Amino acid sequence: MKAGIGRRSLQYLFAYVFVLVALYPIVLMVSSSLKSNAEIFTSPLALPKTFGLDTYRKLWEVVPFADFLLNSIMVSVTSVLLITVTSSMAAFYLARFSHKWTGLLYFYFLIGLMVPVKLGIVPLFLLMKKLGLLNSLWSLILIYTASGIPISVFILTGFFRTLPVELEEAARIDGCSHFQVFWRVLLPLIRPALGTVVIITFIQAWNDFFFPLIFIQDEALKTIPVGMMVLFGEYETDWSLLFAGLTLSALPMIAVFLLASRQFMEGLTAGAGK
Amino acid sequence: MRRSGSHVFVSAMLTVLLVLAGCSGGTNPASPGDGQNGGQTGSPGGSAGGGSSGGGAEQVTLSMHSWRVEDAEGYKKIIQAFEAENPGIKIDFKPFKATEYNTILNTALQSDSGPDVLQLRPYAPGISLAEAGHLEPLDQLPGIQNFSKDVLAAATGKDGKVYGVPLSLNSTQIYYNKRLFEQNGLKEPKSWDELIAVAKTLKDKGIVPFAFGAKEGWLLSLSHGVIAPGAYNGNAFVSKILNGEADFTSPEFVKSIQRAQELIPYFPENFVGLDLNDTRTMFFTEKAAMFINGSFELEGLQKMNPDLPLDFFPMPTDDGKAVLTTWVDGSYAVNAKSKHKQEALKFLEFMASKKFGELFANQFKRISAIPGVVTSDPLVNKMAELSASSSTPYLMVVHFAEGNPTTKQTLENSLQGMYLNKLTPEQVSQEVQKSAAIWFPRFKK
Amino acid sequence: MGVPERQQIQPKRKAKPRWLLHLFPLPALILYTLFVIYPILSAFTYSMYEWKGIARGAFVGLQNFLTLFQVEPFNKLFWNAFGHNVIYFLVEMVVQNGIAFVLAFLIYRKIRGAGFLKAAYFMPRLLSVIVVGFLWKLILNPNYGALNTLLGKLGLEEWAKPWLGDPDTALLAIILVNCWFGIGFAVLIFLAGLQSIPEELIEAARLDGAKGLTMLSRIILPLVMPSLTIMTIFTFIQAFEAFELVYAMQGSMGEPFHSTDTLAVYFYRLAFSGSGGAGDVSIGLGSALAVVLFFIVASVSALSLKAMRKREVQH
Repeated sequence: MKAGIGRRSLQYLFAYVFVLVALYPIVLMVSSSLKSNAEIFTSPLALPKTFGLDTYRKLWEVVPFADFLLNSIMVSVTSVLLITVTSSMAAFYLARFSHKWTGLLYFYFLIGLMVPVKLGIVPLFLLMKKLGLLNSLWSLILIYTASGIPISVFILTGFFRTLPVELEEAARIDGCSHFQVFWRVLLPLIRPALGTVVIITFIQAWNDFFFPLIFIQDEALKTIPVGMMVLFGEYETDWSLLFAGLTLSALPMIAVFLLASRQFMEGLTAGAGK
Repeated sequence: MRRSGSHVFVSAMLTVLLVLAGCSGGTNPASPGDGQNGGQTGSPGGSAGGGSSGGGAEQVTLSMHSWRVEDAEGYKKIIQAFEAENPGIKIDFKPFKATEYNTILNTALQSDSGPDVLQLRPYAPGISLAEAGHLEPLDQLPGIQNFSKDVLAAATGKDGKVYGVPLSLNSTQIYYNKRLFEQNGLKEPKSWDELIAVAKTLKDKGIVPFAFGAKEGWLLSLSHGVIAPGAYNGNAFVSKILNGEADFTSPEFVKSIQRAQELIPYFPENFVGLDLNDTRTMFFTEKAAMFINGSFELEGLQKMNPDLPLDFFPMPTDDGKAVLTTWVDGSYAVNAKSKHKQEALKFLEFMASKKFGELFANQFKRISAIPGVVTSDPLVNKMAELSASSSTPYLMVVHFAEGNPTTKQTLENSLQGMYLNKLTPEQVSQEVQKSAAIWFPRFKK
Repeated sequence: MGVPERQQIQPKRKAKPRWLLHLFPLPALILYTLFVIYPILSAFTYSMYEWKGIARGAFVGLQNFLTLFQVEPFNKLFWNAFGHNVIYFLVEMVVQNGIAFVLAFLIYRKIRGAGFLKAAYFMPRLLSVIVVGFLWKLILNPNYGALNTLLGKLGLEEWAKPWLGDPDTALLAIILVNCWFGIGFAVLIFLAGLQSIPEELIEAARLDGAKGLTMLSRIILPLVMPSLTIMTIFTFIQAFEAFELVYAMQGSMGEPFHSTDTLAVYFYRLAFSGSGGAGDVSIGLGSALAVVLFFIVASVSALSLKAMRKREVQH
């Protein structure tokens, strides 16, 4: 590189300062969760003096975290599955067949990118009641699926359009039906974009707290964010417990990320770059 | 080449998805019930409750909503006492965070799927639910006649019907740390000037006089509710303002706001950023000597620091008396659309009984709304006595919690503005008057 | 994201699908219509009614909209919140997207540890907003919080502030937390845009003598315009729908002194009430605000999408 050493080190300094900014609060959260309350107040910045998991033991006693975790997995995974299946079918149709109404349909889906679904919470509640889905994980699954569809259709349609038509034509000549073309030829090709969709919608569903707050009443059916919110309300002064709760809520996602961070980030932008 | 990595990941992810979704049919914890009865819909009594009574009544589970997350444990005990007497009824107590309670309750009521029994915000906000037709009138409920009219007012609609069984009286006052007072040779102040002198002495000794924060609006009207009656001599002014003979720009009221401002030097550093947790902690860790707050804080303070030498004093007035600011806290109501109205009414009957009053008062260290209940806690008894003998209403909650935004909220917001040096006390009183003039009948021109 | 490429890849031969194919978009269409469009539309009709607390009253036409814009304090609160949304957008554009672009550019120019850097920047995005809000509330606590303690240790006591309690700093503090949360995502989007630039173009420009800033402003910036535009639209939507973080950190009153109020928080307060109780709820006004908010977001993003399409075609 021709850039002077001074300039180069300045660049490194800049890049790594922001690493510090990004990671320090998270480190602080984890280290505080291992401290006692007194330690947090007197020396909030120091590393914990002893490595104690007492707070976590207490946390485990006061909230059914295992239930929360299971519910979160259940809801997020099912929603993501439904989103990918339904959106890729819709996107395939939108990208490959031009009728009078395909443009309109595409626009109709795009509207969903701009509306906050929260604005319709009262009618949504009534609807869930009619469907008998209140206090059921299915209420969450359906909402997350429906609200994840617009972004997924948007990404996938864009990606489908970049695929050369010749591939399909060849397959058609070989005697494949439309459905076979979609399933055997195109779906494998859009995997990178599917990865994007999976990750974006998964994070969305995993972290939401608004809908479970309104739809779920049973303690045993709560997802992690809303379950933890009750904890935050009840133990407001117990900072050590709060930090432990925060850490525990963040842990599953961070663990998945650390295991597969490269795939994670490539997946996240594979559909975006196109 | 890079792509293969993400291929592996995505297909792994999809496999996981498929496997998990496959399971979902069998182990899905989601219950298809309509959620009204909470978790378990009562199983027929015959199978569970011992076969002796052939035609035994069905077990009914009532759902009960409240905003007192802190009280969950205590309610369990009280509910047990009820369930022991009424074996056919189970109560499922579900508290929600106070800030989310309205959202949850409103959405549920709007779609006719609210709880059977619900905690009602006192005065105008709660009564509006009755006006929308969501609540069952309780005038015929046995025990309701024992409450005084003032107390029932908190849950009485404009149609004159009673919609809630009052739970407790709240008072707001200045708590103080007896040890810190004694160490510095201080006594309970008998006038505003004495109060300022006490605060000054404490400050000079390096003790924070008031554990006070301005971050949460509701605490500002609450503490103003303590200070104000001292400035306007309690009930005399209250009746004037209710008759329209005085308004919020009257000098007495402006003085009450000025006093709220006068205390600023005696607040902790950065007080504008402190919330209830911060100030409570300051007080029970004995870093601050006084704490202006409600009776509902008593139990928590004693629990957090059992050795805290705690006492409180009512507000000295300018005409040489002292008053305690009180109001009725939430009451309990029955959802008009409840499927188990009879059982719900039975439970409310229990809540109107002296037995409940005593259980409640001792459990939560609160003043029961039921007349004649005595507790084992001297401070609670002192509050109960004072609220019977020399009380003044918490004006903003009892009479001015209407409008949109409510006049109470307007006061809170303007006081916050004052503590941030954005408004003068005169401007605060003008804002409050402007808000009340929109809806308060006596102020309308 | 997912920028549809130029039109030329549209199928040239219009396939005649069999009727079965028309079923393809149906599952998505039904789910989306039922659980997104239908509730929103019903909410829109709510804005045309008078509401007493939570009971629907008479049809009042546009009365709620007039109230929202003409009656004090609603109009004041609206413009106050609107202004905060604008600030939200601008600060995020400059701080979050500005820094993110520089970071993405550094990674693009082959800085060492690129994988680690990307992962580190992205990490905060994995936390739930509710976790982010609570975490920062604890960090920014005026008396026991880590930030003020840190400033004290550095000898900068006079810089310590009640960050979330002071109206001069509260909004900015929240927005910066949001930047902290969102920067990694922006880096990835920009990086993807940069990496999609064909090497030959850069080489050709270099042979022509383009260097440093000229290279950046003349060659690279125009080529990454699509990802910049997409990120701008995302930031705009996100800034105008800002709710969760504000709510988690400051509650529904936009405290202190309405200095952190945003349109979505104001909506929440109108539709579900703030601290008081059910009495101050106005579903009619809340729904009217929702309609206005929807049109602001939809029209601006539709316009910029259109502008972007046009520019791309001109390439």
